[in-house]
Formats: sequence, structure tokens, C-alpha cells
Amino acid sequence: MALLIPAIFMAVFAYALYKKVNVYSCFTGGAGKALSFVMSLLPCLAAVFMMCALFEESGLSAMLIKFLSPAFSFLGIPEELTKLILIKPLSGSGSLAYLTQTIAEYGADSYISRCACVCYGSSETVFYISAVYFAGTKTKGLLLPIGISLLSSLFATVLACALCRVI
Amino acid sequence: MNAVFAAVFIASAALLMFAAPDKFLTALMGGARSAATAALTLFCIYAVWMGLAAVAEAGGITRGVARRFAPLCKKIFKTRSDEACEAAAMNLACDLLGAGASTPFAVKAVAAWEKEGNFYAQKLLFIINAAGLQLIPATVTALRAGAGSAAAADIFLPSLICSALSLALSAALFISSERIRQKISERKRAAFRWHF
Repeated sequence: MALLIPAIFMAVFAYALYKKVNVYSCFTGGAGKALSFVMSLLPCLAAVFMMCALFEESGLSAMLIKFLSPAFSFLGIPEELTKLILIKPLSGSGSLAYLTQTIAEYGADSYISRCACVCYGSSETVFYISAVYFAGTKTKGLLLPIGISLLSSLFATVLACALCRVI
Repeated sequence: MNAVFAAVFIASAALLMFAAPDKFLTALMGGARSAATAALTLFCIYAVWMGLAAVAEAGGITRGVARRFAPLCKKIFKTRSDEACEAAAMNLACDLLGAGASTPFAVKAVAAWEKEGNFYAQKLLFIINAAGLQLIPATVTALRAGAGSAAAADIFLPSLICSALSLALSAALFISSERIRQKISERKRAAFRWHF
């Protein structure tokens, strides 16, 4: 699988040269667009990350975990995963940090870690991408799609915890 | 986002006022600093993939891919914009491959649909991306292999099943909710006409 990425680069560059494209100036142009895109993203990132930091530091996340744990264990989700599941919709790097921590604490092949990996892999940072996608738009009625996405993330999590017991 | 953001800020400020008022500003600064670090990481990823995409675009490769995808795209997203379809195709391809650079393409597609006034397509693309469908969960596999897992890849199948089913669920819910809304507004319009 790792072979695929260098192969893609090779094929695209070779084909572009064959088509007489100036590969260097195109590549730098694309990278330049990446710079302006990241710059336009930065205010959003700053707001979301500040929110995450406050959420953690104020003890809100601990309270929410305590409050939600019984409901989650009713759905068959181990208590140890509550924090990961709560952070995942907000921040990709935050949830990745918890995932790393979970794997280190419980061992890579434990049920908890496998479950955490599948939960992490089968959900997205819903709030984060909604903030980025719709930053420059006037789209109304975003609550419904966000709610639907969160609901199906929860569904994926419940399914992941059930599947990891079998597979 | 507006409501969540304000609620978290106000609630945290209220809690920290009593617990540890000095931690409030430190938390904010820490958040901003991790945003700056994240932006740097994102630039590294995007510079590589958007550079490659620009080369592919100049060579006419993305146009070829998009042309094949266009009929399906126009049907799914109810759009006429070729630009948006090309961006959406790149976005979904990056998602599936786990290339990590799917967001810029999604933003491009959303901006094109904003010009078209196609809010349905914007929301649908968000729904599809939010399900996190991925053929190869590369990050997670690498993490597990690094932690000494005996079979790092055995989460492939459950991950794929979970995200595919979650995508099916959210797409079905969204499309049916849009249909219901359309029906309600049609009925309202009919009632309005009848009234006069």
C-alpha cells in the first residue's frame, strides 16, 4: 500500500512532463495556494482549539464524561472511551492524542485499544469540518446536518464496540 | 457552531471564575498556540498534496477524472457546476485514500456551490465527509504497529463496515429529511394559493 503514493507522484509528474507542463512552477503555485488556504483557516483553528482547551481546563469535559458514562455503558461502549468519543467531533489532533494515550495504557491488542482505533477511524471531526466548510458561506439550517452526522457517529461507535467483540 | 462556541466559552468562564481564574487566559493562549502548530502541520500536508494536484490539473488529469465522475456528481448533488464536481471528486478521492488533503477541495466545491445557491449540495458534501469513510486507515494502523501490535491491520474490516454503515445512515436521514421539508413547503405554497 505504501508503494501507491510514490507511484502516484511518479505517474503524475511523468504524464505532466509528457504534456509539456512546467512541473516546477505548477507545484510551487499549488503549494502557494496551500499557504493562503492555511492562513484563511487559522482564525477558525484558533477559535476551535481555544474552545477545546477551555472545555478541558474548566472541568466541563470531566463533568460531561461522568454524566454520560452510564448512558454509554448502557449502549455497550466501554467507559474508558468516553473521553475519546467526546473529543473526536471537536478536534482531530486532540482525539489522536487520546488515542495514542489509550494504546499506550491498555496495549495495542487489547479490546479497549482496538475499539478506540475503530471508533477513531470510523468517525470525523464533525464540528471542526462544519466550521471550516461553511466559514465563508451564508448557508442556513446547519443544525440538522450536524445533528445527523453526530447521531451516525454515535451509531458507528456502538457498532464498533459490538464488532470488536466478534472480529 | 455559533451556539456551541458561545455556550462552551460562557460555561467554562463561569466555572473557572470560581475554580481557578488564573487558568482561563493560559488555556486560551495554549489553545491558540496549538492552533498555530496545527496550522504548520496542515501546511506541510497541503503543500505536498495541493502541489501535486496543481501539476495533475495542468496535465489535464483531474479534468479527465472529473469528466468520468460528472454525470454521477450532477445527479447526486443536483448541480450543473463542473468546477464544483471536479473539486468534489478530488475531495472524495482524498478521503478514500486517506491522503489528508481533502479539506481544501471540499472548501473549493462549497464555494462553487455558494455561487450557484445550491445549499443542498453543500450540506450533502458535509454529510459525506463527516461520516469519515476511508479505505485504508493509515494513521491508526501506523500507531498500532508502532505500539507493538501483533496484527496492526486487523481493524481494517471493522473500520470499513462501521464507516460505510454510518455513511449510509446519515445520507439516508439527510436525504429523507430534505424530501420531507420540500413536501411541507410545497403543501404550504399550495395552501397559500388555495387561500387566495
